[in-house]
Amino acid sequence: MEFQKEVEIAVPLEKVWNFIWDVDRFIACVPGCREAKTLEAGKRYSATMVEKVGPFKVEFPTIIEVLERDELRRIKAVASGADNKIGSRMKIELDVNLREQGDKTVLGFIAGVDILGKLAALGHGIIKRKADQVLDEFAQAVKQRLEGDSQDA
Amino acid sequence: MLRRFRLEEPESVQEAADLLNRYGDSAKVYAGGTELLLAMKEGLVHYERLINVKQLKGLNEIRLDSGTVSIGALCTHHQLESAPLLKERLPALVELEKNVANVRVRQAGTIGGNLCFAEPHADPGTLLLALGATLVAQRSSSRREIAAADFFIDAYETSLAADEVLSEIRIPAPAAKSGIAYLKFGYLERPSVGVAIALTLNGGISDAKIAVGCAGPAPKRVAEAEAMLIGKSIEEGTRNLASAGQVAGRAAQAISDLHGAQDYKEHIVGVLLKRAFQRAVGPS
Repeated sequence: MEFQKEVEIAVPLEKVWNFIWDVDRFIACVPGCREAKTLEAGKRYSATMVEKVGPFKVEFPTIIEVLERDELRRIKAVASGADNKIGSRMKIELDVNLREQGDKTVLGFIAGVDILGKLAALGHGIIKRKADQVLDEFAQAVKQRLEGDSQDA
Repeated sequence: MLRRFRLEEPESVQEAADLLNRYGDSAKVYAGGTELLLAMKEGLVHYERLINVKQLKGLNEIRLDSGTVSIGALCTHHQLESAPLLKERLPALVELEKNVANVRVRQAGTIGGNLCFAEPHADPGTLLLALGATLVAQRSSSRREIAAADFFIDAYETSLAADEVLSEIRIPAPAAKSGIAYLKFGYLERPSVGVAIALTLNGGISDAKIAVGCAGPAPKRVAEAEAMLIGKSIEEGTRNLASAGQVAGRAAQAISDLHGAQDYKEHIVGVLLKRAFQRAVGPS
């Protein structure tokens, strides 16, 4: 499943870039993501992703690896994890890009999401919809956090 | 394989609600088990406790109560397909129930369980929306009525609070001159699309309720499509069906999946709405 999202943030590009690397705050914008840890700064991180569709809950201990980093422009990362209790795995390939638009920044991302195992029994449509919701919430959370910070300053 | 769990045997709805309150997410109400036990056997969900409500008295009755058809949440689909009161007052519901899943599910599965599990491809919710039903939710010391339109939130999600037990479904008995139909279509075990229509006919169409289900995450009323029929003659309503079908198709929030592509499901909504309307107005 591939998703493309774009969100315009009313703060300068450099500030958005720095925010992305402030892992604790950035990860807090991912719905259901917690316990973010830096394993190797700029390269490897760990977190736990918790998601829920009705009574179905998954908890993926996840490793996030930064594959490419193009300063102030682009990050390519892959997040993968497994929930052994329900026998499911997930992999997210994330391509984040930034571009300036006047004094604003456009944060775009392309996410390739794969969910494998028993969770797939919920059906492709339901999982796709949930992933889409999570990515929308994530984009909005980043925007709100950055624009809120900017107002506070 | 089914993992170990403890079976709680409350003696009243209040006691069941108390148990839900006490054990929170680690407990779940269990009635027919036709959905829940399958999910548990698959290992998709696990509960330390199942609260067995099957034996609770008074929750499997079907009766007429001051112009309202009252259906206990523990009524099985088989009970509903064979109830004389429903055959007389709500034949469209009887017809729906006759075609729910398969005979094993209809024997064990309950209407309450079906609604609470909120599986997106379930049939009854769609018709209940068109019938203007309300669902009675009980806590240990209170009860509230939830309009069916407000009950379904999303796939597998309802507005029932964690410590509420669904006890009853209340359906206003249809007016004498009414036409009700539910039609579904699918090629897998569960339907791809379901459409329900309830018309009040007084010469023309004095009221119309339309609901679509199965295609998207949860059943939905489609007020915009209803407005295209309300106050119209049957001929005018018939002419508006194509547009109403398109509106209803979009409102279904159809999801592309094994049951069909989004545009295919939207098209089928239109086809079923037309046929359901024709069935509801009857041969004239």
